[in-house]
Amino acid sequence: MMAAKTAKKRSPLKSRADHSPNGRLVDLHAVKKIYRSSAGTFTALEGIDLQIASGEFVSIIGKSGSGKSTLINLISGIDQPTSGEIFVNNVPVHSLKEEQIAVWRGRSIGVIFQFFQLLPTLTAVENILLAMDYGNRYPVSERAEKAIHLLELVGMADWAHSLPGTLSGGQAQRVAIARSLANDPLLLAADEPTGNLDTKSADTVLELFDSLTREGKTILMVTHDMELARRAARTIRLSDGRILDQKVND
Amino acid sequence: MINIRWYKVLNDLAGNKTRTLLIVLSMAVGLFAVGVILSARSILSRGLAESFAAINPSTGVVRTGETFDEQFLASVRSMHDVQAADARRNLAARIEIAPDEWKNISIFVVPDYNEIQVNKIEPDTGAWPPPEREILIERAALQVIHAQVGDTVRIKLANDTIREMKISGTAYDPAQMPAQLDGTPYGYVSTETLDWLGESFGFNELYVIASNPEDEEWSRQVVNQVKDKAERIGLTIPMTMTAEPGQLPMDDILQAILALMGILGVLSLSLSVFLVVNTVSALLAQQKRQIGVMKAIGGSSLQLLGMYLVMVMAYGAFALLLAIPLGIYGARALSQSMAYYFNFDLASMDIPMQSIVLQGIVGLALPVIASLVPFISSLRISPAEAMSLYRTGKGRFGTNPVDRMISGRNLWFARDFPVRSFLLSLRNTFRSKGRLLLTLITLTLGSATFISVFSVRSSLTSTVDEMMKWFNFDVMITFGRSYRSEELQQLARQLPGVYETDTWQQLTVRRVRPDGSEGSMIYMFAPSPDSKLISSPGLAEGRWLLPSDQNAVVVSSALFIEEPDLKLGDNIVLKLYGDEFTFKIIGVSIGTSFGTIMYANYDYVSRITDRAGESDALMVSMSTHDPESVLSASSALERLYESNGLRVNTVDTMFVERAQAEAIFDTIVSLLLVMAVLMALVGGLGLMGTMSINVLERTREIGILRAIGAPNRGVAQVFIMEGIAIGLMSWLFGALLAVPMSGALNLAVGTSMMGTPLTYSYSVSGMLIWLVAVFFLSTLASYIPARNASRLTVREVLGYE
Repeated sequence: MMAAKTAKKRSPLKSRADHSPNGRLVDLHAVKKIYRSSAGTFTALEGIDLQIASGEFVSIIGKSGSGKSTLINLISGIDQPTSGEIFVNNVPVHSLKEEQIAVWRGRSIGVIFQFFQLLPTLTAVENILLAMDYGNRYPVSERAEKAIHLLELVGMADWAHSLPGTLSGGQAQRVAIARSLANDPLLLAADEPTGNLDTKSADTVLELFDSLTREGKTILMVTHDMELARRAARTIRLSDGRILDQKVND
Repeated sequence: MINIRWYKVLNDLAGNKTRTLLIVLSMAVGLFAVGVILSARSILSRGLAESFAAINPSTGVVRTGETFDEQFLASVRSMHDVQAADARRNLAARIEIAPDEWKNISIFVVPDYNEIQVNKIEPDTGAWPPPEREILIERAALQVIHAQVGDTVRIKLANDTIREMKISGTAYDPAQMPAQLDGTPYGYVSTETLDWLGESFGFNELYVIASNPEDEEWSRQVVNQVKDKAERIGLTIPMTMTAEPGQLPMDDILQAILALMGILGVLSLSLSVFLVVNTVSALLAQQKRQIGVMKAIGGSSLQLLGMYLVMVMAYGAFALLLAIPLGIYGARALSQSMAYYFNFDLASMDIPMQSIVLQGIVGLALPVIASLVPFISSLRISPAEAMSLYRTGKGRFGTNPVDRMISGRNLWFARDFPVRSFLLSLRNTFRSKGRLLLTLITLTLGSATFISVFSVRSSLTSTVDEMMKWFNFDVMITFGRSYRSEELQQLARQLPGVYETDTWQQLTVRRVRPDGSEGSMIYMFAPSPDSKLISSPGLAEGRWLLPSDQNAVVVSSALFIEEPDLKLGDNIVLKLYGDEFTFKIIGVSIGTSFGTIMYANYDYVSRITDRAGESDALMVSMSTHDPESVLSASSALERLYESNGLRVNTVDTMFVERAQAEAIFDTIVSLLLVMAVLMALVGGLGLMGTMSINVLERTREIGILRAIGAPNRGVAQVFIMEGIAIGLMSWLFGALLAVPMSGALNLAVGTSMMGTPLTYSYSVSGMLIWLVAVFFLSTLASYIPARNASRLTVREVLGYE
């Protein structure tokens, strides 16, 4: 409650820093999420406490309905908790309004979806540039060069002017990763990023994640595949909306 | 028990209330427009015929130079080929409508107002019949003389007697042209009042119904029989007139309006059809995924077809429930205002069944037919494809040259501008090409109609300009008889402010047809061909008079409506002062049918009529042309001639003539504007429907925009810009389509009113007004769905299916 009041006094969007003071980029306290529908109530998350340090690569694993997608959605501001507090880089995400969240997310979080979700009428590079236009982090004159650079980073520079419909699944996901990096976010939130890819493409995506982590990016990845989850530095296992255990991978 | 699939139909209708409302509204507006136009057209046509039949209309009029009595009337009534006859006294007088401003008025005198057999006059308000020494005014004429019932007005007679008379009521005389259209007011007095006015009683107008009133040719022959009979007893006949069967005097203009309404009815029907097709195909596109699911669980094509057809018909039925009563109300309101303007009563306001049936067909059958094509195309898609999650909205982009032109590297030059939202909007516009085409057709038709309506308005003004360009004078005075031209001009030049004068012969002539029958009255003006006060800036056909011309005439195009066998180059036999002369038509001017005009050479006409050096019309050009100075000069001229013992017949000022010509056209313009707004509304709602469906289809895309940081404004902007892009495209196509469309409307209006198309003038201002309107309309049409889209949360939209 106190946190919410504090958030109202200062603009939460201005609180961005490269690192939180205590080293924790993501900080969740007693986060609960209940869905209400005509069929009744469903508790998706039950009192989650979780911290993720800056530069960490964390995977969340669990069965279908365990609450893993809900958790990543709450952290990236795609959904709001029923109760509890969520701080990302000290920003009280739980108390932001939808409009504020969109702007904050555009600058602070890079979202990667299972089905890539590239805009089909924009070319690969334009998809990245659109995110840059919304984020408004870089001067307009620098955006095109940076966007091309990001495509080079994911090995897709040759397809910069291709429409998403002409790309394979793996290529589209690499472009989606480049787009998620458009505004140099603190955190990449990836929900089943390899769920729709063949093994080879999935490997490429994970290699990309590894290299991004080495460069200091914080990555939070949801998966149901234990093998993939082990590629992260830490794996959090969810079951019935609770954290079952956490394991640091070798 | 109802089969479960019908529950789905019900749930689809009730579950998405906004969509249902929007589809129903889109369809209802189109159906409303069709209903209003078709029903009003039918009410007016029927009302006009009924209203006219109720007065027992004459088929011919014979005006006599001298008065005649009851005995002659009785002899006409007893003629074998005359079904009925009646007579009146028509007294030409002047009425003071403002201090020292006089206007011509026709005062009718009827011995017994309750026993009129032909061209019945009905009581309207106040006293009935006209009390002694008081006057009744035709109800449409009060506005023309700027007076109210109860006012006292001054009437000046031909013998210069001036009497003050109280307006004790109004009468309804549909056989007369509405006063605001021809500028002549009508009054009604008793025989006692006539005596008080210093005139002895006697008739000078005979109204005849021929034994076979439906046969115009026969009516003409009967009128000629009556005329011969009158001439045999020594009466002179300055005018005879034969009416077209069952037609009120303003029939030409009303027919033009009805023709226009017919065209607009067809247009609104087409708009409505496209709107329905558009809405239904958009709806089906949205339901494609559900169709896939139902197919996957065993739904047969026939079962699915039945479900969706019922759903589509339900939308149509709801739209009809709204459109039919509103259409009836609108049609009645429109008919009433038109009937009021044209001064006739509508005996019945019954809505024709055909109009409702047509609305029903458009509302129920068309959506079903419209839904077949998109439905069959959605059936072709496999369930897996239809249910695929790997999609962000409908429509494939990048598969044709247009798409390729606006994507890829082609627009990379704009990389250093934050225009990605705009590119997104632009390309989204072309994404669902079928829907874009349907929306464009609907909006383009609306745009073209709107611009065409303005072009017809502009063409009407150009036509009036064209007509008035002929006259380089400010005042025209006609006299009771011919006077020496020199005397007329000398007197006028005495008045300060008079710049130039000219004198013409002005006479009424009639065509003598090859079969010996006579046509309607034609005003013949005979100026000198080198007169500076008349010019012929442009003729519809042929050429203007030359000094060397002898029996040449330039006729107004309206003559060809009455005498369709004539054309340029033909000879025409005219009766001038009782003698027949042959003239050759060498030119055709543009003119309305209210008072057909022709021009001939002064020298020739004055010679054949034995009036060389004499004139009965004076044209005056003033040094200043403002209405106030012209009006004051016209009054001064009238006083000047009267004080010199010259009998002034009429005094007309050109600015009043122009206002009258414009008044005739104003009705058409007002009606057109109502239609234009209705069309704009149909088009706008069509766009709103399309945009809403686009938003619904791209809900997932909105989620992506949100996920990558688009603020509310950013999301809304994408859809608003798409709406504007569609609006602007429709404007461009509409502006082009308006060229032939306004040409066709000009032809319809012009031919029925004047026998020739209007002077074509494309309305650039109409095009620009529509540009602004379409901009706002598109913004508004896409704003509401865009605002709704921007309110969706990311989780809602990414979870949306």
